[in-house]
Amino acid sequence: MTAVTDHTEHDERGERSGSPDRFAEGPEEAWDDGLIARRVAEGRQQRLAETAVRAYAPSRQPPASYEGPLCDRLDALRELVGLSRTRLDADTLAEAGRVLDESAARRELSGRHTVVAIAGATGSGKSTLFNALAGVMISDTGVRRPTTAAPLGCSWTDGAAGLLDRLGIPGRLRRRPLQGPGADELKGLVLIDLPDHDSAAVEHREHVDRILGLVDAVIWVVDPEKYADAMLHERYLRPMAGHAEVMFVVLNQIDRLPGDAADQVLDDLRRLLDEDGLALGEHGEPGATVLALSALTGQGMEELRESLSQFTRARSAAARRIAADLDAAAERLRPVYVAGASTGRNRGRIGLSEEAREEFTDRLAEAVGAATAGEAAERAWCRNAVKACGDPWLHLWRWYEARRSAEGSTAPLAPGPVDEEVTARQRVEHAVRAVADEAAAGLPQPWGQAVREAAVRGAEGLPETLDLLAVRAGVPSGRPPRPNWWPAAVLAQAAMSLLQVIGGLWLLAQVIGIATPNLGVPVLLMLTGILGGPCVEWTSRLAARGPARRFGREAERRLREAAAGCGRARVLDPVAAELLRYREVREQYVRVTGARAPLW
Amino acid sequence: MLQKPDKIGHSSHVVTLDVRPQLLDALSALRERVAAARFPLPLAGAPRARANRDELLAQLDDYLVPRLKAPEAPLLAVIGGSTGAGKSTLVNSLVGRRVSEAGVLRPTTRTPVLVCHPDDHLWFAGMRVLPDLTRVWVPQRDPMDPGVNGVNGENREEDDEDDAVLALAAEDERALRIETAPSLPRGLALLDAPDIDSLLANNRVLAAELLSAADVWVLVTTASRYADAVPWHLLRTAKEYDATLVTVLDRVPHQVVTEVSRQYAALLTKAGLGDVPRFTVPELPESAGGGGLLPATAVAPLRAWLTHRVQDPEARARALTRTANGVLASLDTRMPELAGAVAAQHAAALRLTSAVDEAYDAEHARVRGRLRAGAVLAGGALKRWRSYPLDCRADELLDAICESLEALLLCAVTAADERVDEAWRREPAAGAPGLADRDPSMENAEHRIGMAVRRWRRVLEEYAEDEVRVLQSVERNALPDPETIAALLATALLGGHRARVAGEVLAERIGAQTAVRLRDRGAHLLIGYLDRVLAIERERRLAPLDALAVHPEPQAALIAALSVLQKER
Repeated sequence: MTAVTDHTEHDERGERSGSPDRFAEGPEEAWDDGLIARRVAEGRQQRLAETAVRAYAPSRQPPASYEGPLCDRLDALRELVGLSRTRLDADTLAEAGRVLDESAARRELSGRHTVVAIAGATGSGKSTLFNALAGVMISDTGVRRPTTAAPLGCSWTDGAAGLLDRLGIPGRLRRRPLQGPGADELKGLVLIDLPDHDSAAVEHREHVDRILGLVDAVIWVVDPEKYADAMLHERYLRPMAGHAEVMFVVLNQIDRLPGDAADQVLDDLRRLLDEDGLALGEHGEPGATVLALSALTGQGMEELRESLSQFTRARSAAARRIAADLDAAAERLRPVYVAGASTGRNRGRIGLSEEAREEFTDRLAEAVGAATAGEAAERAWCRNAVKACGDPWLHLWRWYEARRSAEGSTAPLAPGPVDEEVTARQRVEHAVRAVADEAAAGLPQPWGQAVREAAVRGAEGLPETLDLLAVRAGVPSGRPPRPNWWPAAVLAQAAMSLLQVIGGLWLLAQVIGIATPNLGVPVLLMLTGILGGPCVEWTSRLAARGPARRFGREAERRLREAAAGCGRARVLDPVAAELLRYREVREQYVRVTGARAPLW
Repeated sequence: MLQKPDKIGHSSHVVTLDVRPQLLDALSALRERVAAARFPLPLAGAPRARANRDELLAQLDDYLVPRLKAPEAPLLAVIGGSTGAGKSTLVNSLVGRRVSEAGVLRPTTRTPVLVCHPDDHLWFAGMRVLPDLTRVWVPQRDPMDPGVNGVNGENREEDDEDDAVLALAAEDERALRIETAPSLPRGLALLDAPDIDSLLANNRVLAAELLSAADVWVLVTTASRYADAVPWHLLRTAKEYDATLVTVLDRVPHQVVTEVSRQYAALLTKAGLGDVPRFTVPELPESAGGGGLLPATAVAPLRAWLTHRVQDPEARARALTRTANGVLASLDTRMPELAGAVAAQHAAALRLTSAVDEAYDAEHARVRGRLRAGAVLAGGALKRWRSYPLDCRADELLDAICESLEALLLCAVTAADERVDEAWRREPAAGAPGLADRDPSMENAEHRIGMAVRRWRRVLEEYAEDEVRVLQSVERNALPDPETIAALLATALLGGHRARVAGEVLAERIGAQTAVRLRDRGAHLLIGYLDRVLAIERERRLAPLDALAVHPEPQAALIAALSVLQKER
């Protein structure tokens, strides 16, 4: 409907302007209650897919320049979007992309101009105000509702063609103001007269929503009858509260109010705006300018001209608008970059705690059975020691005891088939899940999910690797190393046995009569041997405890370290990398927000 | 759609002005069903369904039932419109004195005001209509009292009792102020509703509720608003309900009266509302300013029309019948819509439940498979088994196996929970409060599983002791240790093929037959405990969902109630 003839190139981004406008989705729901009011929403569904034609004529004007911090924030946003593309869906990033595109598009165009739209409800006198500012009868006014069907543009200074192209205002709807003493005052102003935002005609609302997303500043025109309309406040003013600095709210038609009622209404309007969260530009603070005037009688118009002139001369509206857009986009992205209050060990801190890593290693070690393997090795070592240094009589007695109680209970069971699944799969799975949960705690949902996925991906094949490791790094085959005192113990035990034998032989010899009878010495020898044997066994058992434990610990440590190394390489490192990525993204996000408010 | 209302009772759809007990019974049954419908799951359509239900209830309670019970009750005309349309001024002007506050600040009317003739007062003082609203009764003032300089004069006159009443009303948001005015004809009550597009959401809901209670809808719009979306939606709603409708084009500047009213008429005709009585009230200084009264002539046609509705029995019957029938007919579409929303709730609940069931079933199958494969005998337990019996005692082996089994079950439960979370993340209904947050239940799950496994172990040991005792009576010597038997049994049960040796040793110790019997019993026991553990966790997961009590019955009940009503009509 807004065919433009005098433009050459069609911007491929033109399609985007047909996308749902930024104000529509969120507040619509809140607005949607009640028997009658709710029905307002229905008409919106049948909105037309509109293809606005936008084209940029090469600009001869000095382009709008954004100052340092804003530029920096935009760069940060661009980087943020780039970093997040793989983690977040396109819908979430669409708004940020739009802000980037619009800021780039606006930057290319004239910085000398300030595009101001006049928006308001039906019959609030937008067109009257437009005409009053322009000084000529440009826009049709009338009692017929709705009056203005398509947006109308009026530029005080030349060179605004690119800006008007961007808004999709065709040449036939572009006007010039009355050249006169007042025109100089508003140099650089490009005024847009919008259709009604609340009329029954759906396409008017679409026009308004589209153009409101593109202009530098907005003059909201309200009248005493409609200033408290829910639609105005809930659909437009509340979502745009962050744009207060580039907003004028004008109470028109005060000529219809008797006496001091105008002041009362203006105060009430201020109260409502305050409730909407709009900062009001009073006492020199930045914020929306609220004025009362009558476009018909001209009362208060001078004040508006004055503020508009100041506003356009400052030439900062475009940048301020982009900054406000950026704030809004950042606020919207907040839930995907900053988690809410989290509980758990690493609240307020991103990254795996040392305990979590330790716990993960513990669980993996448990999965390969490091502790039991160590214990088994220790016991086997001990058993071997006792076997080597043990008293033969005690051995005999133990063997007999075992035979008597239950046949063959101490005989080693035949080894089963070669184990293919040595590692406890369930424990590995649990360990990975626990560490991923720990790492994901305190992260916004998409990033937490990415961390979990990284952990799960890394854990694929982890049990098999651990199986191999357990076989390789498990208990060493062959004879365990012996301590230095072992030969001595064996020798002592042998000596004890020898003493017994010697004593026995000596006694035997005496009985046979070969040797001279001497009972004392052989009996003493034998007794020494008999008592010494268990003593040696007992001492060596005591002495073996230390080395056995060392041996067991060594076995456990090797298995544990092998498992830990494997787990670190396969799970912890990818998780840490993912966390690092998130931290990077969060830093970018802090840059985007301008780091004015403490985030966490 | 508009029946030629020549006579009463000409069509099957007409409610006669006699009380019909069966119809009332059917209606109250339907009302109960509607009141019982719940939409706890946050589906896309749930807020709308909730609003629909409340609206329907309001219409049944505030309008349809009382109207059918008492057809002779006064006609209630509700004045509705957007902010600043001049509703209060219009009511004041119709009554002839200031009953409702008017002013330039919006929203003006926060407490709705009902004005009726003193003789009709009893109809509205009770809870017959609008039972949700607390009545605030302002005593009848002297009719000669001008009353225009309202609030201050009022306060001075009031005695303590009335102060108390007003204070009570101030506390309670939802109040209805009742005024009486002898200037109104008998049998007519006017209700000044809050703005339908008020900034206060409560006001919007209240306005809708009040309009639902109306016999006659008086929709007020203004010269600057007549093309606005909001009033038009109100008009379309009135048309949808086929209510008796009057529109007032208020605050029309003198200069443009003809043009604007012609425009408005054209728009109305285009919307199929051409036959709606239309009244134009010019904008006078009084209507904008201090909320004074418009001259009687400005509202005379409207007043005459309303008076005619009340005083002419035929016109009155026609107005009543039309609105009542409209509401009754609207039930035909609204009840199925409500039933559909209930069905959607149930379907969503089913989806959530089946996600849980699927997750737990899958995990159950996985655990069974892992058990068969001998996954329990891995890691520490396997190491123990390897060193048994030389370097490991039977109770240590049993400990290790139990721990491993615990880990397997815990892993299954957490995996199932993760699956459920994953599936629920895609379900909007899972956002219902209390569904997703599993407080400290994970630790509890660990605890519960530990308990179950320990209990299983104890029973297993008892089995072993039983068998040994039986053996004791038969055999003489070398009785096996029950603990060893239990450990071997557990290994044989949980070790899969790699613990075949355990089975063999077991058979050796206690005899093949006993061993087979013991293993069977043990396997039974194991499966029983496994099922129970998973079932308990599943129940715990589903408990919050069950607590929401989303059942399919209300859907059928709604439709059934509707069809009973249709038969009665």
